[in-house]
Order: sequence, then structure tokens, then C-alpha cells
Amino acid sequence: MPPADVSILGEFEQVVLLAILRLGDDAYAVSIRDEILDCTGRDVARGSIYITLDRLETKGYLRSRLADPTPERGGRAKRYYALRPKAVEALKESRRALVALWRGLEGVLA
Amino acid sequence: MNQRLPRGVEAMLRWLLPGDLVDPIAGDLLEEFVDVQRRRGPARAVAWVWWQAVRVTATFRVERHTRGRPLPPVGDELRSITHMWDSLGHDVVFALRMLRRQPGFTAVALVALALGIGATTAIFSIVDAVLWRPLPYAQPANVVLVAEQRPREGRLNGPVSPADFLDWRAMNRSFSAIAAASDFSLNLTGDVEPQRLRALAVTTGFFDALGVAPAQGRAFEPEEEQPGHQRVAILSDGLWRGAFGARANVVGTTVLLNAEPYVVVGVLPRGFWWTTLPDVIVPRAFEPAERTLRVVHMFPVVARLRPGVSIAQARDDMDEIGRQLAAKYPKENANHFPRVVPIREVIVGETRQPLLVLFGAVVLVLLIAAANVSTLLLARATARRKEIAIRLTLGAARRRLVAQWLTESIVLGSIGGAMGILLASWIVSAAMQLIPTQFLGLPGLDRIGIDLRVLLAAVAGTVGASLLVGIVPASAASNDRTAAALAESGRSTTAGTTTRRLRAALVVGELALSLMLLVGAALLIVSFRKLVDVPTGFQSQHLVTMRVTLPQASYGQAPRAVSFYDALLARIGAAPGVESAGVVTMMPFGGLDSHSGFLIERRTTEFPFPVRVRPLSVSASYFETLRIPLLRGRYLADRDTEGAPEVVVINESAARRFWPDSNPVGQRISLSFDRPRWIEIVGIVGDVKWRSLDREPEPEAYLSYLQQTIAGPTRAMSVVVRSTLPLAASAQLLRTAVAERDRNLPVGAIRPMDDLVAESIAPARLNLWLLAAFAIVAVTLTAEGLYGVMAYLVTQRSHEIGIRMALGASRRAVLLMMLREAGVMTATGIALGLAGAAALSRFLATLLFGVSATDPMVYAAVALLLGVVALAAVVVPSSRATRVDPLVALRED
Repeated sequence: MPPADVSILGEFEQVVLLAILRLGDDAYAVSIRDEILDCTGRDVARGSIYITLDRLETKGYLRSRLADPTPERGGRAKRYYALRPKAVEALKESRRALVALWRGLEGVLA
Repeated sequence: MNQRLPRGVEAMLRWLLPGDLVDPIAGDLLEEFVDVQRRRGPARAVAWVWWQAVRVTATFRVERHTRGRPLPPVGDELRSITHMWDSLGHDVVFALRMLRRQPGFTAVALVALALGIGATTAIFSIVDAVLWRPLPYAQPANVVLVAEQRPREGRLNGPVSPADFLDWRAMNRSFSAIAAASDFSLNLTGDVEPQRLRALAVTTGFFDALGVAPAQGRAFEPEEEQPGHQRVAILSDGLWRGAFGARANVVGTTVLLNAEPYVVVGVLPRGFWWTTLPDVIVPRAFEPAERTLRVVHMFPVVARLRPGVSIAQARDDMDEIGRQLAAKYPKENANHFPRVVPIREVIVGETRQPLLVLFGAVVLVLLIAAANVSTLLLARATARRKEIAIRLTLGAARRRLVAQWLTESIVLGSIGGAMGILLASWIVSAAMQLIPTQFLGLPGLDRIGIDLRVLLAAVAGTVGASLLVGIVPASAASNDRTAAALAESGRSTTAGTTTRRLRAALVVGELALSLMLLVGAALLIVSFRKLVDVPTGFQSQHLVTMRVTLPQASYGQAPRAVSFYDALLARIGAAPGVESAGVVTMMPFGGLDSHSGFLIERRTTEFPFPVRVRPLSVSASYFETLRIPLLRGRYLADRDTEGAPEVVVINESAARRFWPDSNPVGQRISLSFDRPRWIEIVGIVGDVKWRSLDREPEPEAYLSYLQQTIAGPTRAMSVVVRSTLPLAASAQLLRTAVAERDRNLPVGAIRPMDDLVAESIAPARLNLWLLAAFAIVAVTLTAEGLYGVMAYLVTQRSHEIGIRMALGASRRAVLLMMLREAGVMTATGIALGLAGAAALSRFLATLLFGVSATDPMVYAAVALLLGVVALAAVVVPSSRATRVDPLVALRED
């Protein structure tokens, strides 16, 4: 049984969370989008990234911090994201569920 | 490189996004904006960043909204915008729910709107293509026709003689190019399927005048206008794709036209358009004798205005040339002058009025449909008074209520509009199948369809109709005083006076508009009946026609053509089932025409005098075959051959016009001018209608085609056959008879004369059907509107009626009361409609034949008809009022 407070993650939510995890300290909207494009080939709309980040933060999966403004961004702050433990749990649970479902299907779908 | 976001983008983000997100998102966008500027250039980067900003903001707001976490408002402006947006969404959902809950109402309203918008869109697409789109020429406004006007004969756009054309070309200072063009037909043979082609012979400047260049190859060179050098041809795109299978190297190949070799020098561009829709264009070479020919008028002349020259200047220039030519050649040129007109005016001329009438009619239908839906909504508005009153009392803003009503009508209008556009595309493709052949030469017909312009017009129509539909009920709903509304709805008595008046006004309007349409349709019906009853002057039943063109190469010598037709007529005439057969150079309703001046012996001093006839060369059997009656003297006979005395038979119109007080039989005329060759008039025959039934017959002169010296070339003839055989058998007989004489000869369409006559009235018939269809739709909608209003009144007033009946009113009195109310509306509507119809009648006048546009009988009949329909529509709901049970009525509420 999964922990009670971990709701099932949507597919795109997983993609975003994994991208943030891969990027470590450098996860902000633009780099997240690039990372998803690099890894999956999906060209995701910017709006979708923002709303997903917004939603995941509201649900308590993410925390964000504003970095110091930089000149190349016209003096604007960057919002960096990082995973909260709840997100890590949810990802683990998703992976477990998926792996369980995949087991035995390698021959069929390989 | 721009290191800042466009100011508007920044402002929009600040305005529409939550404050804590603006900076990070703006920063992200700027980062990428800089990158995109580098890769794609500044202009595209700006477009890109705007598009991204709009998408991000929209996605964000929609997402937050649907997740039940609407964005915190930032400032009052934002609040009102968000609010409006949110309430619009609510209104749309609410409107859809209301529409679904009343499927009957929704269906009726949608059908009305779809019909109105669909018909309007369809007619608009045709009107737009034919009347308003530019012709497919370079600077089409500079392309003009230079025609010949004969004011004394009432002709405006006549064809031009070769010598006049050559003089115009040499003398004018207004045109950068001027060309003569004449249409004829050619036989295409050789290694392709033999076929008859629509051909156009043009002088060199033709393509320059239109500003069109061939898609492949070249236009004609000036020396190709010289006899002996004209064996070159330019193919139409259609012919190239059809007969030549879009062969790549067709330019430079040789084709056989009328059995003579022509070198293909070019192929026309795809959208090329000329009134006669030619398949092939060849140069027009002038024989030396033709260069001084002024009495045969055969060419339409097209020209292009020099840059900077106005049409008025060109007119002055050509008027002066006309005066000089008239002074120099008084005999030939005293009666006619050049006339410069924009090309579209001539082409579209006769079609403009009917098209605009139809467009006007269809807009009336749309107005009626809108008014109809409006009355339906108004009825519902009254039914929802209680709801509105409560909402107003609870503090709902009037603006919100109006917005909600308008949303409902716009939702209704949009669905109706979408259905209407579908309907329109269907109507247009169906209409293309029905288009009479006379209209095929109109510009733009190949481009008619639902394109962007038409869609925009449809959307405009939809929005207009929706607003019309919604504005009345919306304002009515919000104008009622709250307290009054509450009081009224507490005891459901009658609807408020404002609403009732509005509804009556709408129904009166509908009645008036329908009456106007009905009058138009009725006038066309009467006119059409008169037209059909016009005698043609011959018996068109059981006549079959065929056009044969003998090629110059093998039939160049006159006797060969004569003996061909002689033998052909003998062969056909002897076949079982054939009563008689004849030939004629041009037949009635055959689409050809030409005129020639002539001299009357001992009256030549009377020049200038418009003595012109249509010369026709015929076989002696022609009169008998068509059953054209003999009025005086004798018909032409088989003995009128070459060598026998030269004779001519004229028609009644010629006799009346040129010999009003004397007997023309025995007089002599000449069709040649310089050295008159006098031929004796031996008979007068009855008039025959030529192009259409509504035109007066013109003077005609029949010559025996056996007398070749005066009859002129008779290689191209129409064969007319009177037979009792079925059409297929006649056609077979004609084809076999031609093939037996010359198997290489293609035969044109074999058509019953009745069809040709019917085709001549096809435009009138089409006008009639369309206007009648519109009128029927209009009357149906109006009747429905009347019914709805009366039915509603009855329900609304059942309480009052109950009281009246309880107090002793008879059923008859109640019925009369209801009918009186409907009668006042109907009478007002009819009166207004009659006035409107009379005012609009002058637009219809040109389409009418044999009936005045203000014919009192027609107006009276239509008013009566509409009165009866209105009575039928109100009698059912009114009689329902008399069956109100006073007890039940009083117990209600």
C-alpha cells in the first residue's frame, strides 16, 4: 500500500518532477523545459510548464526560491524549484507501480 | 539586440498574472526572447514573444479558474475583466442549458436562422464573385471595351467594323493597347480526339490590353496579323490539360484546326477568363479587302487605358475620332460612334440588376428570420419575468441581465450561423449545376465558393442577426420596472405594455417584409407566364438542330459546300419519320447574330438612315421546316440558284420599318455598297423571335444559299429537321448522314429547338424560382411568428379571458376580441408592406415583361393571400381562447 497522503501523480507531473530531480540546483522553468525536450523529445508549451509547477507547489510537492536578479534577465529574479520529500515518495511509488505492471511484459512489448 | 521585453508584453503579464509569478516568467521569456532574436531576427522574435506571452497567460488563467483557484484580482480593472470573462463563461453555459431545455423553441429558431444566414451567404458568394471581385486582369480598372453605339437604333454596345477598328488603333492617343476579338468555332482533328472548339480570333494587342501573359510560350507577334502568317495558336489551360493531357512540350508542336496545321505558340494561364470562354486563341489576320470594310460590324474591341489617362479623357479622344470618321465616311459612319465603357459594365450589365434584386430579397429573408426568432425570445422573456424580477430585487445588475440575454441570442446565432454556412456551401454547389448557359460567360463563376470574404460576410450576417434577435428582448427584459414586474408576475395577468408593443411591432415588421417579397415573387410569376406565352413566330416542337462547320481546306470553294449541304438535306429529308429539313447560316435561339447595312434602290439619297438587316442564307426548305408563315409574294424556291435572277425574302419587321407605306415586293435592295448588286424582294414572311422572347423582332433578309455570289460563305450552317422521331433516333440519323458524306467532320451538339427556346428563358425562370422560394420561406416564418405571438397572448390572457367569460362574455365575443387584435397587426403589416413594395418596385421593373411593377391586381392578390395566411395562423390559438374554462383560468396561480 502506498502512503496515504501520496496521491497518484499524473504522467506529465512525473516528467516535470524527474526533470527537476535531474537538474539539481539549476531547475527553473526554462531549463526544465529544455531538459524535457532533451530527454523525451517532447516540445512542451511554456504555459503547461508554469501551470504544472504552480500546481505541484500548491499540492506540496515542490518548494521554490527566488534567486538574486541577474542583468541578462533584465534585472529579474529566477524562480528555482526543488523537490520536497513528499514528491520523492510519490515518484518512488509511481515507479514501483509501473515496474510491477511492466513485470512479465518485456517479451510482449519489447 | 533588444535586451528588454516589448513594453506591451510586460504590461500584459503584470496585468493578468499573479504578482509573485510575473518576474520569474518575464525573466524566462526575456532569456528566450534574446535567443530567438539571435536565431530568427528581431521581427519574428517580437511576434514569437507576444504569442508565447498570450499562451502562457491564457493557459495559466484557464487552468487556475477550472481548478477552482481563480487568480487573486490585481486592481479594479483586472477584477472587472476577470469578472466579465467568468460571467461570460457562465452565460454561455447557462444559454446552452436553456436552449437544450427547450428543444422545440431551439429547433425552430435555429432553422429560421440557418435558412436566413445560409441563403444570404450563398447569394452573397455569387454576387461577390460576379459583381465585386476584380476581373483576373492586371489593373482591371484600366481595361475597357470600345464599342459602337447607334443611338438612333437604341443599340449601345455593338460590334465594330474592321476598317473602323484599324483607324481607331492608328488614331487614338488614350490606349496603350487595343485589340479586336471575334469568337467562332473550329474543328480540332489530328492525333487527338476530334472536337469542336470555342475559338477566339484576336489582333496582336489582345494580351497587352488584358494585361495577361501566356503561362507557357508567347503571345502573338504583330506580323502574325498578316494573312499567311496567322497559322499559330494559343491553347487554353483546359484544352491543354484535356485534349493534350498537359503534355510538357506542347509549345512548338503542330495541331490541326479546321484541317489546317497551326503551330502552338503558347498556353493560357489557368484562371484566364474571357466572356466566350475560348478553348483556343488564334491571330485575326485582315485580308486586304477587309481593311477597308466599314459596313460589316463584327468585332468586340478591348483596350487598356494608358497610365494616367482617365475614362473621360479616353471618351473625349474617341468621340473626336468618331467625328472625324463620320465626316470622312458619311455613308457608312454617320450613324454610329465609338463608346468607351469599363469592361465589367458590359459583361455584367444585364445580370447586375437580377443579382442585386436577389441579394436584396435574401437580406429581407434574413431580417424576417431574425425578427421571428426575436419574437420567440421575447415570448420567453415574458415567461421568465418572475425570474428576472427576483434577480433584480436581489441586486443583480441590469447590465448583467442584458449581457446574459445577448449571450443567449449570440449563442443561438452562432449555432444558426454555422449551420447556415454549411447550408450555403451546399446551396452554392447545387446552384452551379443549375446555372443557365447564358450566365456561363460571367466572370468569377469558376471561383464561386465559401472563401474568406464570404465567411466574413456570413459572420457579419450572423452577428448582425444575433444582435437584432437579442437586443429587443434584452432591453425589454431589463427595462421593466422591478416592482411592476413583481406585481404583474405575482398574478400572472398580461405581459407588460412595452413587451407587448415590441412584439406586435416585430410581427408587423415581418408581415410587411414578407409582403414585399411576395409582391416581387408574384410579379415575376405573372411576367414569366406572359413571357412563356409569347409566340416565337415558328413551331419549335419536333424540331431538332445541329451545327456543322466545313473546314476551309477541303471546302474552300463555294460549290463544294453547297453540294455537301444539298446532298445532306436530300439524305435526311428522305429518311422515314422526317417531314422536312433545311439549313440556315444562323438559326433563332442559336446564340449567333450579325447585322449588315443595305441600300434600297432609288432611295440611297436618304442616307444616313439606319437601314440594317440580319442577313440569313437559307435553303428553300427552311421556311417549311420551321413553319414560318408567308405573308405576301412567295418563299424562296429551289429554282433560285446561281445564274437565276437574284432574289431575297424579307420579314414583316423589315417591311414595316423600311416600306411603311408601300409594298416592298418587287422592290430591289443591295447588300454591297460600292458597286451595288440589286436583288429583288419576292416575298414577305412572318417575324421570328431571335435571341429571347422578350425582345422585339428585328428586320431580316433571307437569301438563297444556292446563290453563292450574294449569299456569302455558307460553310458553317445550322441544320434544322422537323421529324416525329424520338430525339435519340433523330440524333443518330443526323450523325450517320454527316459521317456518310465526310467521316472526319465533327458534329456539334444535337439539340431540340424547344430546349434552345427554354434556355432563353432560363434566367427568368431561375429568378422566379429563387424569389418564390424566398417568399415561401418568408411567409412561413411570418405565419409561424404570428401563430407564436397569438398563442402566447392567449396563454397570457387566459386569466383575463376566464374573468370575462365568467362575467358572461360569449365565446364569439372572446374570439372576435382575439381576432381583432391580430387583425390590427395584420392590416398594419400589410399596409406598410404594400407601401414598401411600391417603393422598391422600380428595382424590379427591368426584370419584368408584360406587367407593370405596380400592377394593382398583383398587389391586391398578394395582400389578400397574406391576409388569409395570417388569419389561418391566428385562428387556431384564438379559438383556443374560447375554450378556456373560467374556473380553471381563475384557479391558476
